[in-house]
Amino acid sequence: MGHLKKDNEFDVIIVGGGITGAGTARDCALRGLKVLLIERHDLATGATGRNHGLLHSGARYAVTDRESAEECIKENMILRKIARHCVEETEGLFITLPEDDLEYQAKFVESCLAAGIRADVIDPKEALLMEPSANPDLIGAVKVPDGAVDPFRLTSANVIDAKLHGATVLVYHEVESLIKDGDTIKGVKVFDHTTKQTKEYYAPITVNAGGIWGQHIAQLAGARINMFPAKGALLIFGHRVNNVVINRCRKPANADILVPGDTICLIGTTSSRVPFEEVDNMYVTADEVDLLLQEGEKLAPKLASTRILRAYAGVRPLVATDDDPSGRNISRGIVLLDHETRDGIKGFISITGGKLMTYRLMAEWATDLVCRKLNVDKACETMEIPLPGSEKENIDEISKKTWSKPGTPHKAVVGRHGNRAGQISMSSEYDASLVCECESASVGEVRYAIEELDVHNLVDLRRRTRVGMGTCQGELCACRAAGMLAEAHKCTETAKQDLQSFINERWKGMYPVCWGDTLRESEYSQWIYSGVCGLTGEGSTEKI
Amino acid sequence: MKFDTIIIGGGLAGLICGIRLQKAGKKCAIVSAGQSAMHFSSGSFELLGRLPDGTETERPLEVLKQLPKEHPYSVIGEETVAEYAAMVPMFLEECGIKVSGSADKNSWRISPTGERKPAWLTLEEFVSLPDKDSKIGNKALIVNILGYLDFNTKFLADSFEKQGTECRIVSLKLDEMERLRKNPSEMRSTNIARVMDREEVWSKAIDQINSMIKDEDAIVLPAVFGLKDSAIIEKIRTRLGVKTYFIATMPPSVPGIRAQMRLKAEFEKCGGYFFLGDTVKGADYNEDGSIRSIETANFGNIRMYADDFVLASGSFFSKGLTATPFGIIEPVFGIDVKAEDSRDNWFDRYFWNKQNYISFGAVAKNGLHASKDGKTVWNLFLAGSIIGGYNALYEGCGGGTAIITALYAADEILKK
Repeated sequence: MGHLKKDNEFDVIIVGGGITGAGTARDCALRGLKVLLIERHDLATGATGRNHGLLHSGARYAVTDRESAEECIKENMILRKIARHCVEETEGLFITLPEDDLEYQAKFVESCLAAGIRADVIDPKEALLMEPSANPDLIGAVKVPDGAVDPFRLTSANVIDAKLHGATVLVYHEVESLIKDGDTIKGVKVFDHTTKQTKEYYAPITVNAGGIWGQHIAQLAGARINMFPAKGALLIFGHRVNNVVINRCRKPANADILVPGDTICLIGTTSSRVPFEEVDNMYVTADEVDLLLQEGEKLAPKLASTRILRAYAGVRPLVATDDDPSGRNISRGIVLLDHETRDGIKGFISITGGKLMTYRLMAEWATDLVCRKLNVDKACETMEIPLPGSEKENIDEISKKTWSKPGTPHKAVVGRHGNRAGQISMSSEYDASLVCECESASVGEVRYAIEELDVHNLVDLRRRTRVGMGTCQGELCACRAAGMLAEAHKCTETAKQDLQSFINERWKGMYPVCWGDTLRESEYSQWIYSGVCGLTGEGSTEKI
Repeated sequence: MKFDTIIIGGGLAGLICGIRLQKAGKKCAIVSAGQSAMHFSSGSFELLGRLPDGTETERPLEVLKQLPKEHPYSVIGEETVAEYAAMVPMFLEECGIKVSGSADKNSWRISPTGERKPAWLTLEEFVSLPDKDSKIGNKALIVNILGYLDFNTKFLADSFEKQGTECRIVSLKLDEMERLRKNPSEMRSTNIARVMDREEVWSKAIDQINSMIKDEDAIVLPAVFGLKDSAIIEKIRTRLGVKTYFIATMPPSVPGIRAQMRLKAEFEKCGGYFFLGDTVKGADYNEDGSIRSIETANFGNIRMYADDFVLASGSFFSKGLTATPFGIIEPVFGIDVKAEDSRDNWFDRYFWNKQNYISFGAVAKNGLHASKDGKTVWNLFLAGSIIGGYNALYEGCGGGTAIITALYAADEILKK
């Protein structure tokens, strides 16, 4: 497939640059299809980048949702293999506190084992040795194969591989309408936010992987998907309090998972229904912050005195089953809709529901359906072939092979980009100078991200390199990186506006938790940018 | 230990207050935790850039009467503010800090990103422009040091070009800087300044610039020269021959640190005691609620006694104020603070709007006295950004309020 086509003709168009869309684009490209991936913002801007970053063992679902639990553990093992540079093998604990029912533990372990999840009951004292920050009052502990996964890196790696296999990726392209011919979807009409032009692309199949925004894409096709936006708020702490994932051994509830990730750790989540109109503008409320803190302290008492970096919220794309428009019977599993059989709309499918952990499986299902429709007979290989960055050697070997004396920024680069780090120029002292001290991001890494990883602005850059994600939340690195973007994109005006938007975007996550050191940091930022620099936010994209 | 006055805070306000008192014969001690806002100075002190309602002010002294009554300028009184404002340049000059500018009319400074901001007094290497859109020249050579990322040449060129100045950006490559670059986090202003302070290095830099000048009539340089001594600024200007503009960099600020070190040296030269790296842990009080002594972390149970105390401990960033999820407190003495109760009223969701929390601070009674539980503390005076009731950032009056409240508090103590 893919031969003798015009530039704007593809085998398959995938709408949505979250992990599901990225995974589907990779899978389709690996099976030889000519792929177009379209995203209206940047990659991983929706629920993909707004969750725990937990490499679920599935244990959390073992009691309540056996099917999800089994999917999770299988995908967990696959990701450890194919996405090593995105995964941190931390292990996980399910702790029982005096206020919890210890009998639940037995049921929990039994369910885990039934789902194929290793679950070892360990002595509370041993649990505290394994994770000293866990609540010392715990009365029971179970060890499970949880881990941490970086969703930005994972999405980026899928996109890199899709592109290596011929896929075209268009970010900042928004679907305006679907091109129809009778009851068949022929392609998409998109608005390019960068050039402000409208373009048309054609393919026999369009895949709707828009997450919560997929409801709207389906509407454009004339189909109806009943989505129930469920907001989940999380808090990010300034450093790693824990090195092992800590869960509460009880029925899933608010704020009962604490996950370490890179330089920070995360507590979450809350769960509340939100009106559809609000999904583009999620604000974390003071009540949500208080609840997360109150429950989080029970997992690790140290959280009470740990600096909170920011608060954020994502929207889970929960789907009501077709026979229940009221939404009471909501599926948390994978939902693959063939709109031809369901609604009589040809050339259009939706892949939704599911979770970060099962993205690969969702992509596999969606791609299987695409291939069936296109009469392509090629089996899925994504459970075997490592993602770019995760091939071959381990991180230390790559680092040693690439640089004679790897320093902190070199190690950070390998951690973030795996064996693709070799493509990042860090040989000269200028390239090795740090843009972002908190996260050890160098000039070379920033330049690589701008040139190779579809970076349009500072927020994109943050998702690829962690610039501005550390304790200072972009205090000085933002201005440095803005200078580099101005140079790379040859547009100073845009870079300056972008800097101001970026600072506001950081603030959005800070003000809900703005006291103590976080408020001190914010005051400093205010003095630097509004005071010393005299910037006023003029031209920044967000304005309230 | 017994002093006449103990000042808590070694920033602009604390030092100015200490120098004033020490020169008048008082025995003073300053307890300082470390860095101050001067370390991220813009290069200028502002008197008043705009009123709380947003009206821009061209002549600050003429609008002082329009300020609300809790504003520190109002507490001091407009005529007194004007008197102090007039004497500050001489006061600073006597401390070895040369400034330009006047309180009668705001001048304009050029910010690190090329913006123009109202200024009152500007440190010597910077140029204060008479008008907001004054042109720096017809053609400018913008010079950076290779690898130094805190000087945004692109942003500067963009803003100069808008005013009709043609810009050319060049980089200096100096072998002496290579050693700094070996450590990736070393290319920061103060580290560069330390190397640049050596005559053979700055001389070489000037030679390189001279060889690069074509027909430019303005040279733009980052303010990373003269960390210890500002004398090289004039030498550089003379050697370049072309009008030279030093522009403030992103923090740390070399001129700001130099000025702070100058003030500290002046205070010590006058016989003052500067206890660096110490923090106040507690206080005990006389029966009338006035302060008898304080206890610090370094001196432990050797208490420090004084007749009068000045609290110049700064705002949140300097830990003069502490924010908890439940409210704002002043951590040293627990004095009265003016702040909104609900966190929802602390912030605006848009970063660039006026932020209420910046105006939170200690309640200043007449004479800049602090109050505790509603009762005036007769021997505790407030100076600088610890004082509440005004938004120094929004109004553009941080430097002015720091200097003037410090001088006023000192004179109130001397009057007793």
